[in-house]
Amino acid sequence: MLLRRWGIVGLLLLAGLVLWLMLAGPDTLMGLDMGSGGMTLLVAIGWGLLYLLSQWPRGELDRAMSPSEWRAWLGVGFSAIALMYFFTKLALFQGDVAFTDPHVRAVGRNLVILLIAWAVISQVLRSRSKDEVQKDERDREIAIRAGGWGRGATVVAIIALALLLGFSPAERLVLAGHFMIANLLIFALVWGCLIEYAATAFMFWRDRR
Amino acid sequence: MSTTITNNIRRLRFEHGEMTQEALAKTCGVTRQTIIALEAGRYAPSLELAFRISRAFGVGVEDVFQWEEQASRTRA
Repeated sequence: MLLRRWGIVGLLLLAGLVLWLMLAGPDTLMGLDMGSGGMTLLVAIGWGLLYLLSQWPRGELDRAMSPSEWRAWLGVGFSAIALMYFFTKLALFQGDVAFTDPHVRAVGRNLVILLIAWAVISQVLRSRSKDEVQKDERDREIAIRAGGWGRGATVVAIIALALLLGFSPAERLVLAGHFMIANLLIFALVWGCLIEYAATAFMFWRDRR
Repeated sequence: MSTTITNNIRRLRFEHGEMTQEALAKTCGVTRQTIIALEAGRYAPSLELAFRISRAFGVGVEDVFQWEEQASRTRA
């Protein structure tokens, strides 16, 4: 019973772990070289997990949450992963770098992989609840309120960036080239998305309590 | 967050052959979680949804929903 209840959460966590290993994992894992062979294995595991997830019988936890709430939690997870990944790689954007830099390109590629994985998992979850109403007036009301939180968070982040850039001494801003500023703006955008998803998920959770 | 609008949805469901939340949700075109939030008094429906729910039970809107005027005045 417990296994069934938390099975879907476990599968999602495993899928997340596989994704993280793909994005930022070590070069070797338990003696296995994570080169192209390891990557293929990880992609196969990820694909298998997604297939299992789509076939898994609907449990209590699954029924307790509406499709919109599932999407919100998924959004929290993926935007948090993207933000953390972006943050850990921020040092790569310092100084005089361009998009042609192989390390920078790798970050961009991994973020695109993350977006694709997000879209695939969303589609899998949507197919699990295809017979249900996907969105109703309460969902739209929550989305409007959460949108306000998201906009607020983006505005705060942009103002913080403007103050940082405007009031920092010139010698400290040597590291903040055009590429760094461009990436910090994207960072602010993802931050706004994270807060919006988190507010949505919180409001759904509060209604269920 | 509770609302000043109370309802008899739970009672009416049981009086209508123990209609499930899922069945009522499907009839009204909303998610089951919205019916749960309504029954718990955590969500005040739109006028349209209130009409849909009352039509599903074959009764008037005021037989399903009541506005607690006193509580509302105190909060205002």
